[in-house]
Amino acid sequence: MLEQQLINGLTLGLIYALIAVGYTMVYGVIQLINFAHGEIYMLGAFFCVTFITAAGLPFYAAILMAILCCILCGILLDIIAYRPLRKAPRLAALITAIGMSIFLQNVALMIWGSRSRPFPQAALPPFFREKALVLGDVSLTWLQLFIFAVAIIMMIGLYLTINKTRIGTAMRALAQNKTAASLMGINVNYVISFTFALGSAMGAVAGILVSVYYNTLYPTMGYTAGVKAFAAAVLGGIGSVPGAMVGGVVLGVAETLGAGYVSSLYRDGVAYAVMIAVIIFRPSGILGKSVIDKA
Amino acid sequence: MNIGKSLVLLVVAAVLTYPLVPQSSDYIIHVMTLAMVYMILAMGLNIVPGFCGLLDLGYVGFYGIGAYTAGLLTIHYGLSFWVIVPLAALNGALWGALLGAPTLRLTGDYFAIVTFGFSELVVLFLTNEIWLTRGPLGLPGIQPITLNLTWLNDAWYFEFYDKTPNFYVVAILVGLVFFIMRRMEDSRLGRAWYAIREDPLAAASCGVNILNYKVIAFAISAAIGAVGGAFYARWSMFLSPDMFKFWESFLVLCMVVLGGLGNIKGALLGAVILVSLGEVLREVLSSLGLPPESRFMAYGLIMVLIMRFKPAGFFPAIASSGRSNPLLIDLQKRLAARNAPKEETRDAAT
Repeated sequence: MLEQQLINGLTLGLIYALIAVGYTMVYGVIQLINFAHGEIYMLGAFFCVTFITAAGLPFYAAILMAILCCILCGILLDIIAYRPLRKAPRLAALITAIGMSIFLQNVALMIWGSRSRPFPQAALPPFFREKALVLGDVSLTWLQLFIFAVAIIMMIGLYLTINKTRIGTAMRALAQNKTAASLMGINVNYVISFTFALGSAMGAVAGILVSVYYNTLYPTMGYTAGVKAFAAAVLGGIGSVPGAMVGGVVLGVAETLGAGYVSSLYRDGVAYAVMIAVIIFRPSGILGKSVIDKA
Repeated sequence: MNIGKSLVLLVVAAVLTYPLVPQSSDYIIHVMTLAMVYMILAMGLNIVPGFCGLLDLGYVGFYGIGAYTAGLLTIHYGLSFWVIVPLAALNGALWGALLGAPTLRLTGDYFAIVTFGFSELVVLFLTNEIWLTRGPLGLPGIQPITLNLTWLNDAWYFEFYDKTPNFYVVAILVGLVFFIMRRMEDSRLGRAWYAIREDPLAAASCGVNILNYKVIAFAISAAIGAVGGAFYARWSMFLSPDMFKFWESFLVLCMVVLGGLGNIKGALLGAVILVSLGEVLREVLSSLGLPPESRFMAYGLIMVLIMRFKPAGFFPAIASSGRSNPLLIDLQKRLAARNAPKEETRDAAT
């Protein structure tokens, strides 16, 4: 059973990691907890399903369209809500982020209704639910393999973007020192928009993967997932991209094991408890370096 | 006494006598009572982000703790409301101190997130510990507030099923909390809080024990939240974990921010505005044929707009009181005095 739990936890953890990366990148660049990131994740799932059911697009095309829509939402979110507050106190920006989160969640409730809905199974490749690997009691479905592959490819892509490209260098420069970066001729707003776009794309993919994995999606799903991903980002060390990946995986595994061996009632509680404990005992996280608080 | 002040007193007097008018509407009394519950919450929350400059996203946790403390003590032990209020406040303060002591070393966003996690854990606890709280089924059958004056007259035993007596009970609580807040604001405690908010480093270098003052602030804030919860439990006579979700914290935070962080009167006004706005929005949006979710959507949007155009709220703390913080001025003088000799010695060395 343990091995099976580990595999399930790893699947969940990789998805958390994808969302956590979005939080951590934005935090690294503009020191803002983007509370509305969970809503982008939720929108990703809903856009995808809407493109399949209403527009009749095939699965992969719908994913691509959903990602594009989420990128647009992420950039708009930054431009409309956060950009005017760049120089405002951090409390103001944080409250704005919570306001946007509640706004978007309720817009989704109005558009798609409050009931949870299944993911249209007919659109999925038929082999997804079949077992790809069976080793004794442990089995791995094609869907889980697909999630592993997508998550890992996206992480590698992100790593290469951040470390090997010009725009990635600009992002890292901005995270270090915004003023110095702008003096070096970096277009700060452009880079921040790019960061939001990148994070939103990964959040959208995570939302789609989760709704396929659990075969359900609902407008408030962004809330819990957002909190857990944030916990993952904190766990790994907020602002650190590899940290968010590690934190996501650790949290996913911890949650699955906690639900399996302690109490399934407190499944969500594991994330909060881990988060509180990490913040108290090691605020810089597993891989984070201690940051000077700029509050 | 100036015109503004007498106008405010007039409005307060009018509101307080309203339930005695024979034609008064139960609905309006209900809304006013609700507004006063939120006044208590807003004043309590105001202490942490307003006076100390720390964002508390878990305030509803203490509200819930107070409410369930009151509900359970009523159902199982039949205690009187007047005994329960201090007990609930004590329990709230205890949890506030327990959460605050290890976490108040953290600054800014980290603290906000820990408090947020705490309130989520409270909701999970209330939902899952069915043996204690009946979980998602909720806690029905809480007795209304009673007033036992049989020691004066054998017939004077009252049960407040009516809206009017509850209105006056909460009005007394609001008055009490307001009085305490005003006394604290102008005390050593309040000045230390202001100093911490404006410049923690300067405050610490003047001998203010930052952590102690923050824990006190957090515990008092939690206690006031619990008092609000205790009244709410006995007033609504039913509790469920759903009532204490994050959304409530955000609503109270909106009130505090709208009124002006760190301004007690602002918190009161913020509560009145947002509760009545909620009622008005409910009417307007449903007459437009929009679903109830649109109300929360409007709240979120309003919050964003306030932050965009009035980040300090409508009644910013310093401007309204018409004076700068005396402690801060003192601090600045002392720091200036401390820095001055240093400059001289440096000059002498070069």
